[in-house]
Order: sequence, then structure tokens, then C-alpha cells
Amino acid sequence: MDVDVEPEEESAPTPTTKRRGRPPKQTVADEDNGTTTTPKSKGRTPVKTPSRPNGVSSIDTPSRRNVADRSARRKSARALIDRVMGDATSDDEERDETIAREIYESSGAEDESGEEEEIDTEAAEEIAAVTDTPSKTPARRKRAARKKSPTPPRDLPPHEQYFYQNKPGLTKTSNNNLSSLDLLTHDEYFTILRKLEQPHAEEIRSLQSLHAESFPQWMFELSQGFSICLYGFGSKRSLLRDFATHLYSRTEDHRQSKIVVVNGYVRTTSTKEILTTIGTAIDPSQKVASANPMTMLHNLQSLLSSHDTTITLVINSIDAQPLRRQAIQSILAQLAAHPQIHLICSADTPDFSLMWDSGLRSSFNFVFHNATTFAPFTAEIDVVDEVHELLGRKARRVGGKEGVTFVLRSLPENAKNLFRLLVTEVLVAMDDGSGASAEGTGVEYRMLYNKAVEEFICSSEMAFRTLLKEFHDHQMITSYKDILGTELLSLPFRKDELEAILEDLMS
Amino acid sequence: MADEEDNNVSTELDHQAAFIFNPYEDNEQQDARPAKRRKLSKKDTSAKNQGKESVKSSSTGTFVPLFNGAESQRSAALREATFHSAWSGVEARIQHTLREANRNTLDEVSAFVRSAPSQSDKIPAAYIITGPNTASQQLLFDQLADSLQDIAKPAKVVSIRSAEAPNLKATLKKIIRDATSRALDDEDELDIGGVSGHDGDRKYLDYDLDALHAFLKLSGSTRVVVAFQDTEAFDSALLSDLLLLLHSWQDRLRFTLLFGIATSVELFQARLLKSAAQYLYGGQFDVVQASSVLESIFKAGVAHAGCAVRLGPRLLRALVERQREQVVGIQGFVSSLKYAYMCHFYANPLSVLLAEDEEELREVLQPEHLEAIRMLYSFRNNVDFMLEELEDVEYARRMIEDDRYLTKEIFKDDNRFATKDLGTLLKCLILLKSIGLSKRSFVEEYIAAITSGVDLDAYRSSIRQLDPDGVVSLATRVIDAINDGDPELGVEGWSSEAAETVHELEKIILKVKSLLQKCKDNGTVLRSKHSAQSRVLRTTVVAQKVQLSQDSAQLTEEDRAFTGLLKNLENLLGAELSVGGVFRRLFSEAWVYDSKSPDRDVFVPRPGTTVERALVRPHDYLACECCGSADGAAAATLPATSILYHLYMEAGALINVADLWSAYYALVGEDNEEGGGLDEREALVRFYQGLAELKTMGFVKQSKKKADHIAKLKWL
Repeated sequence: MDVDVEPEEESAPTPTTKRRGRPPKQTVADEDNGTTTTPKSKGRTPVKTPSRPNGVSSIDTPSRRNVADRSARRKSARALIDRVMGDATSDDEERDETIAREIYESSGAEDESGEEEEIDTEAAEEIAAVTDTPSKTPARRKRAARKKSPTPPRDLPPHEQYFYQNKPGLTKTSNNNLSSLDLLTHDEYFTILRKLEQPHAEEIRSLQSLHAESFPQWMFELSQGFSICLYGFGSKRSLLRDFATHLYSRTEDHRQSKIVVVNGYVRTTSTKEILTTIGTAIDPSQKVASANPMTMLHNLQSLLSSHDTTITLVINSIDAQPLRRQAIQSILAQLAAHPQIHLICSADTPDFSLMWDSGLRSSFNFVFHNATTFAPFTAEIDVVDEVHELLGRKARRVGGKEGVTFVLRSLPENAKNLFRLLVTEVLVAMDDGSGASAEGTGVEYRMLYNKAVEEFICSSEMAFRTLLKEFHDHQMITSYKDILGTELLSLPFRKDELEAILEDLMS
Repeated sequence: MADEEDNNVSTELDHQAAFIFNPYEDNEQQDARPAKRRKLSKKDTSAKNQGKESVKSSSTGTFVPLFNGAESQRSAALREATFHSAWSGVEARIQHTLREANRNTLDEVSAFVRSAPSQSDKIPAAYIITGPNTASQQLLFDQLADSLQDIAKPAKVVSIRSAEAPNLKATLKKIIRDATSRALDDEDELDIGGVSGHDGDRKYLDYDLDALHAFLKLSGSTRVVVAFQDTEAFDSALLSDLLLLLHSWQDRLRFTLLFGIATSVELFQARLLKSAAQYLYGGQFDVVQASSVLESIFKAGVAHAGCAVRLGPRLLRALVERQREQVVGIQGFVSSLKYAYMCHFYANPLSVLLAEDEEELREVLQPEHLEAIRMLYSFRNNVDFMLEELEDVEYARRMIEDDRYLTKEIFKDDNRFATKDLGTLLKCLILLKSIGLSKRSFVEEYIAAITSGVDLDAYRSSIRQLDPDGVVSLATRVIDAINDGDPELGVEGWSSEAAETVHELEKIILKVKSLLQKCKDNGTVLRSKHSAQSRVLRTTVVAQKVQLSQDSAQLTEEDRAFTGLLKNLENLLGAELSVGGVFRRLFSEAWVYDSKSPDRDVFVPRPGTTVERALVRPHDYLACECCGSADGAAAATLPATSILYHLYMEAGALINVADLWSAYYALVGEDNEEGGGLDEREALVRFYQGLAELKTMGFVKQSKKKADHIAKLKWL
């Protein structure tokens, strides 16, 4: 976008005007501002992340804002929000993009092609700047029409696809959001899941039995000092369990050969736990406990060499988050390199092999097998949580009541008081049913400030903002503007959670 | 649900980080007993090797009967036994070669360490340039530790990897522990306890170098050898600190440091603090180039006369190419080699023919084997050849119909192992190398030889143009080669077989020498027809014809005799150097393994493509009735993740989840075209599953750009 053309600035109106420096556009935009502002912003408000659009919507309507009262309160609020949002990635691009969209919408279909072209090629822009309006518009539109063909070029190689799709200005998505959809709760998810018949169950089973036919081969490979890594789409957990059972049934001496299963996807998986379990498997009476994993490994290795036990280490999802650290992988590699330890693992992501450098690869001594199972990741993934995290509804889980209490514990007394005040006000507003919107129930910024001053929580707006910033950082509050432009503060929690938090704060 | 019932058994375990697997859960009481037994085995520490042995023997019976299960257990077991004996030979040779390969470096390093001044202010440091392949360093450092052991006595050589040295304290602990504990064979935390007993009541912290000092003082030694394997990966601040600290102990403990360096010494020193670097007194040592190690390994593991299984040219070419293009390392090559052996014996029922025990083999052979042999390409070729070229109908008929005749043929040693042909092949290669006209490496030469045989054609013209001295030295080299063979290839001299050739060669040498002498007396230069010709060609092109005739006219009597000798030599070598496509001879399928695909699949996986294919065309894997018609397009019956992936591919870099959901729901929902869809909540459950799986596989992440948007992360 035009980041390099326009220096990014917080005082939003100026850049826009400068940008519109070319006469034809200016007129269109200005006209438009007069007529269509209100419906447009109404349509847009629910979509956005609370704060960012605010900055923008105040940008795009200079005429109205000039008329409006720009109080110090507003300005500072905007500054606050901008600062808070400052840590979001590539904000500038985003802002510019929104500007672009703004213009796009305001100038109507006529000018849309022209605008896009301007974004894409600066060269064209310069030429256009010299030529006069009538000749410019059709020429541009023609070119844009080619670009706007509904289907993107097919069959591009992946890297071309990447560049094509990451072209600035091309990331246009609709403003729909999921607010109308009642998201699933854990209970509902599992209730439905239980009723729901799994499609392709038969095929998945036969696919797995197909893989099971290679069990003897895998055993042979393990016995020859290779480690096995199963990759491909689908959960390989039950496949590995079957393999372990097979292995178990094929070994006569269960004292001499043990099987240790490690579930990499379990969030608490740690080197210590893995090593301790292996130690127990070798000799339940001896402990290899130690603080340092390296020492522990050392102890384990010497323990292993004094016993003639063979350990088969079965690792589910070796590329899961808890195991991804280099330190853990190198310990696993050293384990795998030990002649008395056989390792078989599964990997779920398509680029797991990036975890290992050539040194680790050679200590692992992997052979890879494609074990696509299509089986659902029932134990590996907490589906509901993962999706909600993906949708940015994370606060509900990680934060929640405990999270808030935890954060507040480390904040000064007046921050606690302010939060208590905010919770109370939001709860009151909820009871009234006022201030409800897509973002939840909000209270007015100004009102909250006044109340805070009354209660001696803070004496200046500066202090007030500092306190709010802290909450913002921990995603404990959200702020947005309503249709009239009033700044509202809200809490991303459900009512019962709020009540619990309040209870906690009062006690 | 495939694993509904299993889930009931082990749901708890599925959420446990690590546990000991026991599907029957009834061995609780038995567990008390083995502890006792183990104590017995613990005493007998030499049992470790036996343990390995027993692992091996317990693994017998892992081979699955082939011929759709018709193969007898015994035959499978025989294949397995043959595998073990075949591979162990190769492996021993390879290990030996690897050790030899580093010999020079080892000698130099230990000479350096030994000669390091004892009363110097500086710490002697050997920089061992290992090259970028960290994988092969382990062996080198193990060998270094072995060879330097006597210097470091009674302490052990300490070898540290970056992963083991997170901070100074841990590094010191590691150094002290490794230097002392192995000698004491005491694994306790307080392994200096034994020392402190002698040293009064003093206890040491486990990162106190005083402990090491006290330990060494007992034996009057002060030397400690510490090796840093992957120097580049160490934190440079840590290294500097450590160097300063070690230097401050220089008056009591004499450290010698070994650094494995992948890049260059300059880079390494630039990373250190100047104050630390100045304490180092260094020497630089290069490790043998990977390519020459590869050649030795190749000779020992692939081309050696003792190799039971021969890798075919396609596989070899792929392996060598991978060595060149990717940082696989020698270990990777050896793994591939081993895997090829494993595949051959595991999956090829005819590999049983390689069994050394002939009696056992005779008993094991069953009709299926013979039938399979008759299906062989080489068998059909052989019979065709006999019929058409030699018109030996009787032979062909008996080979096809008479089992006993066929068995007899099989048991001819030369058929089973093709010893003679392979021997000739190797001898040809040795001769070719001794001629010294080829610029190709042995590896390339070998691959070319097994592809299309060996002949002299490519070198004839160079032989003709040899000068007299060249002829003498060439003939001498060839005779030497015939006398000595090549121990690296396991080929002994074959001068008794080739007595005639040797004799002829010697005759040529003598004659050439006498001719030379004669020319010297005459004051002329001995030339051949061919060398003259080439000289003329080089002078002018215009006068070519005239000068040519002049030149040949000028040939003296001696020159003509020399030309004749050259011709002799050429013919002689041509006769020696000819071997056809050995790898296509009868029954070669029993000892040639030339399949690229399992090796590539197993060592160079393409998980991206695999996952993509599974998602784009689930039918390829599931082979279900419902999805076959989709043919790579989205369809309602596909698994949710697959549908989402189709939509994902159509979307841009930023994806609106609301739109994704509506597109998904439109496809699978109640009112889709085919009808019978899911209701909204059910569809949503699937949608959640699919989205969560995409996230777990790293296709999407949360985007903060817009609400309910996710960012695309993969373009497969």
C-alpha cells in the first residue's frame, strides 16, 4: 500500500486529505461524505475490532468531524486506543487498507477500479496524475477489469500462489462475522459429536488395517536400529497403540523389553516426565530424578547400560507444541541413538522435518512411513478451545476468572478498584439492558472516568488511561464506539463470569 | 467410531504425558521379581554384549512369509539369518573404513596435543575443521577420545555438545563429572566423595574445579582434555567465560581443548572475546573430505567383493546424487545401504538363494521358489538366448519343465553368487584405474561399469598416443595391479590366473626399453605412428595431407616396432578389460537390488505433498464409494477438513471464518443440492473439527487484522 508514499501518522485527517490531493478524487470523496456517511458507518461498526476502525472512521469523515466538537477527551481516547493497538502486527498496512476500503466504498463503483489501480502501481498513479480526469478513468477501469476477474489464475505453483495472494491490496474479505452464530460450547460439542455418525468410519478402519499389515516390517526396522516416524494426515494415535499392542504380544519376555508411550500433545509433557517414566520402566526401584535434564539423561543412560532391558519408546505427535523445543528434541535424539532404545513416533504437521538438523537426524536415524489414517484427532486436539483460540475468543478460556484474578493480583490497589468499578457498572448496565451491542454490554468511558475520580481511584485522566492500558494489554477490557461516536468500554466475559469476578474482588 | 471402545480403556492414558504401556495390566505383581533378577545381570557387566546378541536372536522370526504366505517359516528364517550374516560383514568393513579415514587427522591431533608445551601460559587448542556436516562428527570425536585417552589418564576425555552446555555452571559440572566419574565408575551426585575421603573431610561443590584438581593430584597428573563438538552452536559469551576460567586454572590444571569447527577458525575467533582468544595456542587440522570418505565407504560397502547384495545402478546413482546435493552425510549413505539390504532380504523371497548354508537351502526350497525363478526376467532372457542364438532346445526345455535340472543350475556357485563375473568386473575396474587414463572417480566408474559393462574403447586412442615412457609406466602399473589386487575392494592379486598377460606385458616393457636404448644410441626420438600423426595435426591444417605422408614416411624402424608394441598393448588390455552387463545375468534378481522408491520414500519423505494429496483427494486413500466422483473438487461427502482445505485453497491470504462457515454450510447443510445434509449444529461440529485440525497442522493462525479472520500460513 501507500505506506511509503505517506508517512504514517496518528493525526489521521491530514494524510487522507493529502492523499486526495488530486482534484477529481477529492470532489468525489467530499460529495460522498456529505451524503452517505451515516448508513455506511452503521453497516460497518459491528464488524470491526473495537478500536481500530474507530481511528479510521474518524479519519474518513473530515467534513463532519470538522463540524463536530473535537474535545480533548476524544483525542486522548483515540491516542490511547491507537497505542494499545500498536502492538498488533502490521498496523499501518491495515490502516491504509481500511482507508482504501473507505475510499472504495465512499466513491462508489465508478471510482473503485481507479482506486485499486492507484494502490497497486505507483507508476500508473503518476501518469494518471498528469492526465486529466475523463481520459484517465476509462483507461484505468479497463486495466482493473482484467485484474478483477473473479477467478484468480488457476494452477499456479505454490510459491507463485503465495505472492499472488499476498499482493498488497488483494486481501479483501467481506465484513461478515460470526456474531449471529451461537458458538459451540464444550458440552454441546460433545453431545452432538456423540450422536453424530462418523463418516467413512469403515474406510478409516480398513486404512488402518492396511497400515497394520506393516507392523512386522516396522518391528524389523526398529530391531535394526532405525527409528520410525509416521507422517500423513489423520491421527496416528490408535495406529501406534495397535502397534504397541502388537509389539507387546510378540515379545516373550516383558521384563526385558518394555514399551513406554509418550503423548506429545498433552500440554504438560516435559523431558523430566519422559525420562522419569523411562527410568521407572528400566528399574522401578531406582530413581533418575534430577533437576537438570542433561544430568538426568546421563543417569538414565548409565542405568540403561547396567540393565539389559530394551525400551521401545512410542511417541505420539512428536511435533506437538510441548515437544517442539530444540532441547527436548535433542534429548529424544540422544535417547533414540542408544542401542537399547527403539523409537517410533508420529508427526502430524506437514513440515515436521524442520525440527531436526542433520546432526539430530542422524542420531534419530529415521525411516519415514506414510501413515495417512484420516482418523479424527479425538484426544490430541481440544477442538472447541482450538477453534475459539483461532477466532480470538481466547480470553474466555485462558483469561476467564482465574486469569483476571491473576493479573489483578500483580496490579496496584487502585487498579483493582477500577476494575471492580468497571465490573459493577457493566453488570448494572447488563441488568438495565442498556448499552448492549454486538460487542457485549458497554459503559461510557467518560462516565467511568467520572466515577473513578469520585471514588478517588485516580485523580487525572492520564492516570486513568494508564490503568486502562494495563487492562487492555491483558485483554481484560475492550473498547469501541457506538453509532454516535461515544466511547464505550466493555468486558469480554459472560455475565456469570463477571459475577464470579466481582465476588472475588469484593472478598 | 473406530476407537470408541479403545477409548474407554485408555482415555486417561491418552491424556497422560508418558506411561509404561501394558495392554493387559496384570503384571503388577510380577514387577517385584525382576528387580532381583536384574541385580544378577547388573553384576555381570560384560552381559551387555551378550544382551545385544540376545536382542538379535530374539528378533528372529520377524520376517513374514512371502508368496502370499505360502513361503515356509524356515525359508523366511533363513532369509533373516542370511541378512544378518551379509550385513554384519558389510557393517564391520564400513566401520573399519570410517576409522581408517580419520586416522591421519587423529594422528596429527594427538601429536599436537602431546607436543604442546607444558609450561606455557596459553591453553593449547586444536581446531578441527570438520565441515558443515555435524552428523559425522560424533564418530570423529569418539575416536579422538580413544586416541587421546592415554594422555588424559586418569581423567577421561570430556566431550561436550552445545546442547549439554546451557550455562557455565552446567558446563563445568559436565566437565568435572565426565572427567572423573567414568574413571571411578561411580554415578553418584557426589562422585568426588571418594576423592574427598583421601583429601581429608573437604567436600566439593560439583562445579568446583578444585574437585577435579584433587582428583588428578592423586595420580600426579594435571592434564584435562576437553572437546567441544559443535563449536558454532555454543554461546560465544559462555565460551569466552569458560576460557577465562580455564586459563585461570592453568597453573594447577593443564587443559587441552579440541574444537570441532564447521566454518572457519577466523569466524570462531571473531566470536570470542579478545581477552579470551589470546589465551589460546592453536593448531588447525582438516578432516578428510566427505567425498573421499564416501569413495572408501563405497568401496567397502558397495563394490567390495564380499558384498552379498549388489545395489543396482539406478539406486546407486540416486544415492550418490543425494550425497552431492544434500547434506545427508556418510551416515545417511550407510543407512540407505543398510535399508537396501533390509528391503532385499525382507521382501524378495529369492534372496534366500544367497544363503551360505547350501544344505539348509536345499531343504528350504519349495515349488513356489522355482515358479518365481521361472518368472524372472533374467531367466526368460537366458532361455530365449539359448533357444534363439544357440538353438539349445534341450536346455530350454529342461530349465522350464524339469525342477531338478533347474535346482541343479541354481546351486552352481557361479549362478548363485555370480562370483566369477563379479570378480572379473572388479578386476576390470582395478585395471582401468591402474591404466590411469580415466578422469572419473571410482564411484562413477563403478556405476558405469554395472550399467553397461567395461571396455577399453574410450581409452584406445589415448593408449595409442602414449609415449614410450608412458607405455612402460602403464604396463608396470597394470602388472602391479594384477599382482596386488585391491585390498579395499577385497580383491587379491590374480597374477597366477593372468600369468600370460603379465608375461606379455613384461615382454612389452622389455622391448620398449630396448627400443628406447637403441634410439638413444642413434640420437633419435622414439615415436609411434599415432603420436606423429597427432603432432602434424597440431601444426598446420592447410598442409595437413602433405606433412602426414612425410611424417609416416619418416618413421624409423624402431618407430614402427614401437607402433606394433602399442598395438599389442592395446589388444592385450582390450582383452583383459571386457566385461558385459553382469547385473543382467541369470538369477541376478537374487543378488541385485535396484529399487529407488522405498529408499526415497523412507529417507526423503515428502510430508507436504502427502498431506496435501490426502486433503485434496481423500478418495485416493479412503477408496470410498461416495467421494470417488469428486475427483479433486470439493464435495459434501468429503471429510470436513478436506472440504475446508478446498475452500482454503480458493481463499486469499486472509480468510473470513464467517464466510468460510457459510460456504461450508452451503455445501454440507440441509439445503444443499443433494439433500440429506446436516443440520446447522451438526455441521458446526464438523466445521469445528476441520478448523481445529487445520490449525493443528499449521495451515492457519489467528489474525488480528479483522474480527473472526484467520491468516493462511501454508501454500502447498
